[in-house]
Amino acid sequence: MRAQAPVIGRELERLDGLWEDGLSDTYRSYLDAVVSYEEEAQPKLALAAALIEAGLRLQGLGGRAAPAAALLMGDLCLARASRLIADTASQSLQVAFARAIEELSATAASGGAGKPVRELLVGALESGR
Amino acid sequence: MIAKRLRFKTSGATQFVDITSQLRDEVRRTGLRFGRIYLQSLHTTVGLAVNENEPLLLRDFQSLLERLAPSGAGYQHDDFARRFDIALDEPVNGHAHCRQLLLTGFATLLVEEGDLVLGQWQSVFAVELDGPRQRQLAVQLDGEFETEGSKSSPLGGEVARRAGRDEHQSKHADQALVELELTRQLMIDPDPVALPMRRLVEAGGKRLRPRLVQLTARIGPRQEPLRAAALAAAVELLHNATLIHDDYVDESTHRRGRPTVAAAEGAERAIAVGDFYFAKATRLIAEIGNGDVTSTVAEALEAICASQIDDVALRGAFPGDHESYLKVVRGKTAALFAASCASGALLSEAKPEAVEALKRYGDLLGTAFQMADDMIDFSPSSGKPVGLDIRQRVLSLPLIYAAEDKAVGPEIRRLLAGTLGDAEVGRVTDLVRSSDALDRVGDEARGLVEAALRELEAVELDGLRPTLIGLAKSAVDRQS
Repeated sequence: MRAQAPVIGRELERLDGLWEDGLSDTYRSYLDAVVSYEEEAQPKLALAAALIEAGLRLQGLGGRAAPAAALLMGDLCLARASRLIADTASQSLQVAFARAIEELSATAASGGAGKPVRELLVGALESGR
Repeated sequence: MIAKRLRFKTSGATQFVDITSQLRDEVRRTGLRFGRIYLQSLHTTVGLAVNENEPLLLRDFQSLLERLAPSGAGYQHDDFARRFDIALDEPVNGHAHCRQLLLTGFATLLVEEGDLVLGQWQSVFAVELDGPRQRQLAVQLDGEFETEGSKSSPLGGEVARRAGRDEHQSKHADQALVELELTRQLMIDPDPVALPMRRLVEAGGKRLRPRLVQLTARIGPRQEPLRAAALAAAVELLHNATLIHDDYVDESTHRRGRPTVAAAEGAERAIAVGDFYFAKATRLIAEIGNGDVTSTVAEALEAICASQIDDVALRGAFPGDHESYLKVVRGKTAALFAASCASGALLSEAKPEAVEALKRYGDLLGTAFQMADDMIDFSPSSGKPVGLDIRQRVLSLPLIYAAEDKAVGPEIRRLLAGTLGDAEVGRVTDLVRSSDALDRVGDEARGLVEAALRELEAVELDGLRPTLIGLAKSAVDRQS
């Protein structure tokens, strides 16, 4: 198992397998995007962004629908991210994250090709400062 | 008696216009509790029908009408040379008049307990036969209206009537605000996500969660009905978003008498619509600007999702046990009831002890509500298909109790271990009914409601206690 910040470990309850399955890499890839936030908030915000990205991928949003079990795991990732954001982020960042998911899902529903998830989430982190 | 006109515009030559939700709205708006709605088409080429709103079936009806009265089949009515006083824009529509003869121009619908009496699959249609046009139906509502006061109120007399009338008016004003907010939000969203959600929202639902938000938002000193309605509508959207994903997971074909989003538009669309409204609802709540409210609802959403995973996992050990059942139900159903109560109170800046008491009230009420829902699965008069929970292997307390029963338990467990066809589901349903399981669940649900009401005893509720008591009791003593 790769090392986690203590605060992250508490937030991975029921998602342990995902951490080894790439969530840890996704998390690390967002750390650069959160450096301008308070130090205490950085790991939670990076994890929230990583959970959204992982959750949407698990659900198969914009592609082939995931089987039920994967969809539910994806839902839990989104819900966990939502709670982390509610507890940690400013109102403007909460709104920016939500709008990113709205844009992604509306594009997926219309069958179009939208911006990559990461681009939208990094954009949300920048605009929500 | 209240008389109205229902106006609508059609967009096709032949079109089945589902007017069920408009009729339900009229019943709500007018406060008709028990009685009838009389409908009459005011056109010779518009009929009425009560049938299932299933898109392919509607196409079958159109084909049937076309076969029985084909257009352009040489109707004498269309031979303008033989008619007198015809208008310049007289349509060629002999087929439409003949088709109307096959339908009806009149309908009477029953209303009980403030809602239309319709079966699970029934919708009310105005059938356009010569559109597109502007159309209208005459509507009369007759019977016992709520505004006359509640005669069964324990308070009795004029005070009770006035209190009942005030409460009734307040309830309707609250409902109208939430419906308006839902409509407003759904109007501004992109069609691919808004249309499926609009169909689900317009199909009805009890709106218990928004009601709880609005009621509890009247408890503290900061009472702002518009903010409360915004929060209530967001909670309702969130609830519906979870239902859209649930229906895909459960492979449900219908909800509230309509095809589910997954069944009608595919799993991919259902996932996207659920995600969109999950995000939108959380954004709307964030925009209200109360951090405690945002966190409270976010925690509930997390509990719902975790319990959904447990629920599906437990289907491998169907029917499960009482402890697992309570764990799942407290997350899946009760968490959002509790959050609705707490978030409304937080919004109104109620005292912490009131917020906590209301949260416990919501938790107990939500659990009791789910137990009542489980019982309805065994009721032939609910308007819902009997035995659906059994067929879908959904956790159900009556089934858990019946499976523990010495007399019927062994046969139930044997049947549940095999393939569940119509015969097996029917037999399990009969066995559950023959046991004391339903009585036990009913007693347990009522016990939870009593416990929920005890939570309200020690806190100041600004006169809302009777309403919260009534709401809790009606959530359990219901038929659908």
